[in-house]
Amino acid sequence: MASQLALKSRIVSTGSLEKIFNAQEMIAASHIAQAREVALNAKPYTDAIFDAVQTLVSHSHIAHPIVRKEEDNPRVAVLALTADRGMAGAYTSSIIRETEDLLNRLEGAGKEPELFVYGRRGVSYYKYRNRPLAQTWEGDTEKPGVEVADAISRALLDAYMTPADNGGVCELYIVYTEFINMVVQKVRVLRMLPVEIIKSDEHAAGGPDMLESQHVMPLYSFEPSLDEVLDAVLPKYVRSRIHECLLEAAASEVACRQNAMHTATENARDLINDLTRKLNASRQASITQELTEIIGSADALNKKEE
Amino acid sequence: MAGTTMDVNIVSAEHPIWSGTAKAVLVPAYAGGLGILPGHEPVLSVIQEGPLVVTEPNGAKHSFEVTDGFISFDSNKLTVVVEQGRPMQNIPVDETGIQ
Repeated sequence: MASQLALKSRIVSTGSLEKIFNAQEMIAASHIAQAREVALNAKPYTDAIFDAVQTLVSHSHIAHPIVRKEEDNPRVAVLALTADRGMAGAYTSSIIRETEDLLNRLEGAGKEPELFVYGRRGVSYYKYRNRPLAQTWEGDTEKPGVEVADAISRALLDAYMTPADNGGVCELYIVYTEFINMVVQKVRVLRMLPVEIIKSDEHAAGGPDMLESQHVMPLYSFEPSLDEVLDAVLPKYVRSRIHECLLEAAASEVACRQNAMHTATENARDLINDLTRKLNASRQASITQELTEIIGSADALNKKEE
Repeated sequence: MAGTTMDVNIVSAEHPIWSGTAKAVLVPAYAGGLGILPGHEPVLSVIQEGPLVVTEPNGAKHSFEVTDGFISFDSNKLTVVVEQGRPMQNIPVDETGIQ
């Protein structure tokens, strides 16, 4: 049995770890409220852009390159959204695992994936393994602002719009964590580009001939022209989709961290209970031993006197 | 339908800026100022950086400074989508608001 001193010091150090975990858990809990607020604030914008894109889709058979790119180009871009800090359980590692899967799959299909990474943990993982990275971003993975979304989408759209001969890519995949609820987060792979514009349910049946079928949408006029409106709106659409992914990933990261820290706190408490029990047992054992020694020696003295 | 007021909703990428009813809105459209009155035909227009003026039904005016984006008007509802925007303080704006 370990010495009482060793047990005591382990209890103390586990106790201070427990405090740290508990604090981290509370920090994560407060960040969730923030993440929710940011997402709520960004929603009207996303909705408005989505509506505008719906309108555009109903008016024309869009031939913009963002929607369709007919090129024989093996290069594809993969963006992985990881965390800046650890202490979030399996958050980053499951993203990395999924990314590796995707890369292998793409390579198997004869593509040449280029990797873009957001988040310090992911970047250092790949740097350590000397994997070439096309571009990386770090910082603010817990509360990604519009600036980060802007930087990322600009770089990716640039890569996408560059002709294949100059090293452009023809597809973009995003690996991120979907926030389902506080307990469940799921890693998802999303093909972001070329854009697949999801038609709202009542139009789902209608393809390009939607205009004839039912005129739910009123006829719009476009200023200055349909093409220029498309040019202005589609990149914003992509950016807001990327921003949405970033926000969702951030919420998942914070939730993961809170869960991980909650488990860690509980484990620390269990460990402390366990160690305390051991300490008590060993103290009891030493007392018992002392008593038996005293009784034994007293007995021996008594016998002598007799 | 073409009443005297319309719903206006101004949103930026980070947060909603303003929403309410108005009797006229002046937006910095692509080719200069574009005035939108209730009952305007449906329109989707690119806008550029500049001042945006909302006139409320009681005549009160709000002006905002917006960056590039677009507006969409449909069934008496105007949505202004911009990158960034903020209310302008203490700047008197007349009908010719946009130069």
